[in-house]
Amino acid sequence: MNNTPYVPVKEDFQFLPDRDITTDQNFASQGYWKGVAISFFRNRRAVVGLVIVLLIMFFAAFGPMMNAYNYDSIVSVTSEEGKQIVARGIGPQISGVIQGSGNNAALFAEHTFLFGTDDMGRDLWTRTWQGARISLIIAFVTIIIDMIIGMSYGLISGFFGGMTDNIMQRIVEIGNSVPRLVIVSVLAIFMPKGMVLVIVALLLTEWIGMSKISRAEMLKLKEHEYVLASRTLGAGSFHIIFKEILPNTIGPIITQVMFSIPTAIFTEAFLSFVGVGIVLPQCSIGSLIEAGFNNITTLPYQILPPIIVLALLMLGFNFIGDGFREALAPKLEDM
Amino acid sequence: MKKTISMLLAALMLFGLTACNSNEPAGSDTGTNPSVAPSSGNDGGKYLNVMLSTNVMSLDTNLATDGDSFEVIADCIDGLTQMDAEGAAIPAIAEKWDISDDGQTYTFHLRDAKWANGDPVTAQDFVFAWRLGVETNEEYGYMFGDGVGNVKNADAIMSGEASSDTLGITASDEKTLVVELTAPVSYFPSLMYFPAFYPINEKFYSGLAEGTYGTSPETYLSNGAFILESYTPGTASLSLKKNPDYWDAARVKLPGISYQVVGSSDNALTAFRSNTLDLVTINGSQVASAESDASLSSKLKVTGAGYMWYLTFSQTDKNAQGGKLANTNLRLAISNAIDRESIVDNYVMDGSLATYTAVPPQFAASATTGEDFSADQKKFADYCGYDVTKAQSYLEAAKSELGVDSFEFTMIYGNNEGDEVANVAQAIKSQVEENLPGVTLNLQPMTKAERLDKMQNDNYDVALTRWGPDYADPMTYMGMWVTNNANNYGFWSNAEYDQIITDCTTGAYVTDYDARWAALYEGEELVMKEAVIAPLYTKSNANLIADGVSGVEFHPVALNRVYKSASIG
Amino acid sequence: MVKYTLKRVGMALLTLLLIVFLLFVLVRIMPGNPFPSERMSAEQIAAKRLEMGLDDPILVQFGRYMANLLKGDFGRGTSLYYGAPINTVLSTAISNSFRIGGIAILIGTAVGLLLGIVAALNRGRFLDGFCTVFSIIGVCVPSYVFLIFLQYFFSFKIPFFPYFFDANRFLFSSVLPSLSLSLFTMSTVARFTRNEMVEVMDSDYVRLAESKGLYGGTLVRRHVLRNALVPIVTVLAPLIVDLLTGALVVEKIYGINGIGKLMVDAITGEGVDYNYVLALGILYSALYIGIMLVVDLLYGLLDPRIRVSTKEG
Repeated sequence: MNNTPYVPVKEDFQFLPDRDITTDQNFASQGYWKGVAISFFRNRRAVVGLVIVLLIMFFAAFGPMMNAYNYDSIVSVTSEEGKQIVARGIGPQISGVIQGSGNNAALFAEHTFLFGTDDMGRDLWTRTWQGARISLIIAFVTIIIDMIIGMSYGLISGFFGGMTDNIMQRIVEIGNSVPRLVIVSVLAIFMPKGMVLVIVALLLTEWIGMSKISRAEMLKLKEHEYVLASRTLGAGSFHIIFKEILPNTIGPIITQVMFSIPTAIFTEAFLSFVGVGIVLPQCSIGSLIEAGFNNITTLPYQILPPIIVLALLMLGFNFIGDGFREALAPKLEDM
Repeated sequence: MKKTISMLLAALMLFGLTACNSNEPAGSDTGTNPSVAPSSGNDGGKYLNVMLSTNVMSLDTNLATDGDSFEVIADCIDGLTQMDAEGAAIPAIAEKWDISDDGQTYTFHLRDAKWANGDPVTAQDFVFAWRLGVETNEEYGYMFGDGVGNVKNADAIMSGEASSDTLGITASDEKTLVVELTAPVSYFPSLMYFPAFYPINEKFYSGLAEGTYGTSPETYLSNGAFILESYTPGTASLSLKKNPDYWDAARVKLPGISYQVVGSSDNALTAFRSNTLDLVTINGSQVASAESDASLSSKLKVTGAGYMWYLTFSQTDKNAQGGKLANTNLRLAISNAIDRESIVDNYVMDGSLATYTAVPPQFAASATTGEDFSADQKKFADYCGYDVTKAQSYLEAAKSELGVDSFEFTMIYGNNEGDEVANVAQAIKSQVEENLPGVTLNLQPMTKAERLDKMQNDNYDVALTRWGPDYADPMTYMGMWVTNNANNYGFWSNAEYDQIITDCTTGAYVTDYDARWAALYEGEELVMKEAVIAPLYTKSNANLIADGVSGVEFHPVALNRVYKSASIG
Repeated sequence: MVKYTLKRVGMALLTLLLIVFLLFVLVRIMPGNPFPSERMSAEQIAAKRLEMGLDDPILVQFGRYMANLLKGDFGRGTSLYYGAPINTVLSTAISNSFRIGGIAILIGTAVGLLLGIVAALNRGRFLDGFCTVFSIIGVCVPSYVFLIFLQYFFSFKIPFFPYFFDANRFLFSSVLPSLSLSLFTMSTVARFTRNEMVEVMDSDYVRLAESKGLYGGTLVRRHVLRNALVPIVTVLAPLIVDLLTGALVVEKIYGINGIGKLMVDAITGEGVDYNYVLALGILYSALYIGIMLVVDLLYGLLDPRIRVSTKEG
C-alpha cells in the first residue's frame, strides 16, 4: 500500500518548441516525386486515363478547326421558292458514305456531319469540342478550388477543432444554405454575367463537399499515434496538417475531386437558367446535354456526343486519380 | 484483359440506353397500349385527359394572370357571356342585354342559373366580384379602366380616389345588372367572357377563411359546366367533373376533365402515344416528326395561340450606346434584316405565322365585314419585310446620320418562356449580324421577372418579348404604344398616334365603328413606319387530339380551350 | 454528449436566424418584382409595393416576417400560387419530395454500399472494373435522362408503371423517379466505399485480423466497413439533403409537385416570389444544419477516437 506507483503529472512532459522538423532524407536514391512519377507511369490504367484526357484536350483545342463549320454557323440552303432551309436535326452523316437521318438530310448530302447537326442546323462535332473547352476549364477550376480552398478549409477546421471548427462549420452552413439561384442573381447585378461569374459562383460553394471530406479525414486521423509522435517531436500545426496528415487523406480527397467535376459541369449549365454563364450560341458540355435532352424523343442522337465526351473525360480523370492515389500511397503498390 | 472487357460492356450499356431511345421517332410502335387505363370518372364515362403546360397559379378570378388558370376558371365559372366556336360573344349567364342609345349603359338580364351549392346566380354576385376586382387591382385590374372596359369610376377607385361602391355596376334587381361606361365600347360583350369579369358568390366567399378562396374543391364554387373535383395549389394534376346543375348541362357531354401538368413538352408526345393524355401541345421539333408519322399526322391540329413575339427597342439615351436605337433608320434596318419566314419554318415550326403588322392576325375580326384586322400581312410591306438590300440601305442611312460605323447592342430574352425562344433569339442574332455588316447583337438570357424588370426600368437595348391579346380588339395591342403607357417599353412618343388612340377609345370614333377601324390602321402605320417594334411571329399551338375526341374549341384570345361542347368517341 | 448536442442545437438556431436574415435581404436585391407586373402601370406597381410593406425599413419588414414565422406562418405566395397559404403548398411538396427522395436515398445507399463492397473484394477483377465504369456513367448521365429512359421502357413500351406521378398510388408511382434519382448517390457511395475499403483492407490491422483467421463477412463488417464509413457518411450527408429537397427536372418530367420545382418556379416565374424563396431556403438550411449535426454525432459512434465535441484538438 505504501509504494504507490508514480503517477506522471502534466508538468513531467513538455512539447519541444514549435519548429519545423524535416523528414529523414535517407531513403533510396530517387526523389519523392520522381518515384511517384515512375509508379504512376508504370500503372497502365493511369496512362490510359492520361491519354484519354490528353486526347479530349487535343480535340477541344483543334476539333472545331477540323471542318469548315464554325460553332455558331447555321448550315442552310435556299429552296427554289426562295425559302431558307436549315440543316436541322440531321443524324450523323459522312458525305457519300453514310446518309444521315432527318427530313432534310437529302438536301445536305454533300456535307459531312460526324456527330450530326443540332436543332438549329449547326454541326455538332464543332459544337461538342467547342463546348468541351468551356467544360474543361470548369473541370480544372473545380479541381483547383477543391484542392486549395476545400481541402485546406476542412483540414484546418478539423485539426484545430473546438471554437475554430465551430465557427468555420457555421460559415459553411450559411454559405451552403443560400440557394445558388438567389446568390448568383444578386451577384449578377454587381458584375457582368459570363464565365467569370460562373467561376465566382463555383468559388462560393463548390469546395464545401471537399471541405467536409477532408475535415472528416482530419478528425479521424488526428487521433492517430503518429500525429502525437510528430507533435511530441515538436512539429508545428501546419507541418502536421499538410505534411503528416494530408498525404494520408489523399484517397478520399481524390475520389471527391473526381465526383465534384461532373457536378460542377452541370452546375454551369444550370446557371444558364438565370442567364449566368456562357451565352448562346456558345455552348458547354453541360448545355449541350441539356439541349440534347430537350430533343431526346425527336433527335435522340444529339445527346450522345456530349455525354460520351463527359463520360470519357470522367473515366480518364478517374484513372489518373487512381493512378496518383496508388503512386502516392506506396502501400497500395502491390495492387 | 478482363478489366477492358468489363469496361466495354458497361460502355455498351450506355450506348444501349440512348440507342433504345433512338428507336422511338422511327414510330414502329405507336404505343397504343390498351392496358394503360386512362383515368375515368366515378360516374361512368371517361374523363378527357388534357395537358397543361404550366401549373394553375390561381383559381381566383381576380388573381389569375396566366392562360392555363383562365382556362380552368372558365371551365368552372360562366360569365355574362361566353365564346362561341368562332370566338364571338354569345349569351351565358346573361340571357340577353340592352344597350342604351348612347352606348354607355348596358343592362344585362340574367337567366335562372344556379351556383353548385344551390344558390341562384344573382346580379349582386357580379357587383361583388367586380368591386373586389377593382379594389384589389391586380394585374388584370386595368381591364375595367378607361381604354379597355371604360367602366365608370374604375380608374378613380383603382387610384384610391373613390370608394368601390361608386363603381359603375349596379344590381337593379336580383336578375338585372346595369353597367355604366364612360364611353361606348364596341367590343364590350366580348370582354364579358374574360375571367376578370366573372361573378363570385358573396355569401360563399365571405364564409371562407381569408385567402382560402379557390384553394380546394371545398372552397371553390362553380356556376359553370364543371365542378372542381380534386385540386390543391401547386398540384401537377387536377380534375373537374361535370356540373349536373349547370344551366346548359344538356350541352356538356364530357363526364369530366382531368388535367396533367407536363412541364417538359418533350414528354408530351410520348404521353400522348401511350394514351395517357388525349390532348397535348407539342413543340416545333416534334411537329416535324409527328407530320412524318402517319398515325399522328391525322391527329395534329394547329390552332392560334394569339400572342405575338416581337422586338422592342429602347429609344432613350441611357441605353444602346447613347440612344443609337432612337434612330428610325437603324430600327428599320434591323426589322428588315430578319427573315421571319425562315424563323417560323426552321426554328418555331409549330405552324406559327410570320408577322409583319403591329397587330397580329387571327384574333380581331371586324364586326361589320367579319374580316380579320390584320388579314393583309403585306399592308406595311414598305416598312417591314425581309429585304437585305433595303435593310442595308437603311443601315447606311443610319450610319451616316449617327456618324458611326458599327453598333453593338445586347438583346435580352427570357429563357423560360417557351422551347423555341432561345433558338429564335440565336436565329435573329445570326441573321442581323450576317445581313447588317457592322451590327453586333449580343444575347443575354434571363428569367422573365428580370426581363420585365429591365424593360420596365428602361435598362435594355433590344428585348425579345411577347404580348397576348386580352380581348378581341386591335386596341389590346395598339394601346401599348401610347406615350407613357407602362408597356411602351421603347419610350416612343408620337402626338398624332396618341390622338388617334384617344379618339378610338373615348373620343370621336367610339360610336363610328368603321371610322374607328380606319383610324386604327392609320395608327398602326405610324408604329410600323417608325419601326417602334419589329413584329416577328404570331404563335400557334400544335395540338395532338386523340381519335374520337371532338368539339374542343380553340381560341387565340382570352380562353385558349373550351370544353363545353367536347365529347369523346 | 447531451450537453454538447444542446449547445449545437442552440448554435444551429442562431445560424438559421442569420441565414434567414441574409436570405431576406438578398431576395429583395434580386431583380424583378415579387408579383406579376407585366400589365401594371408604374403607379400600380408602387401601390402594390406599398401595400406589401416593401418600402418599410428592412428591419421592420424582417421583424414582421419573423413574428409570423414564429407562429409557423410562412405567409402567402406573391407570384406563385398567389393567394394560397404557403404552408398548404409546402406541406404537399415536402411530403412528395421527402418520400421520393427518401426512397432514392435508401436504394442509392444500399445498392451503392453493396456495389462498393463487391468491387473492393474483387479488386482489379472484372466486377471492380464494371463498378468503376458504372459509377462514372452514374455521375455523368443526369438523373432526368435515366428517368426518360425508364419512363420510355417501363411506362410506355411495357406499361407497368404510371406515366405520370399519381399521389394516390404513391409507392408504385415513386419507383421510376426514385430509381433515377438514386443513381448519382449509388455511384458516389459505391466509389467511396470501394476506395475506402481497398485502403482499409491494406492497413496493418486488417492484415492482423486476417492473420488471426478472420475472413469474409465478419472481417468486412467488423473491421473494414466500419472504418470506411466515416468518409461515406460525410459524402452521403449533403446528398441526402439534396435528394430530400427535390430535383427540378425529374419533378417536371414526372409531374411531381415537389420542392425542387417550387424553388425554381418561385424564382423564374412571373415575379420573384420572396415568401416562397424564403420558406424553401429556411427548409433547406434547417435540413442541412440538422443533418450536419447528426453527422458530427455519428462520427463519434463510428470511430470512438473522433471527438468533435471536445474543445481540445
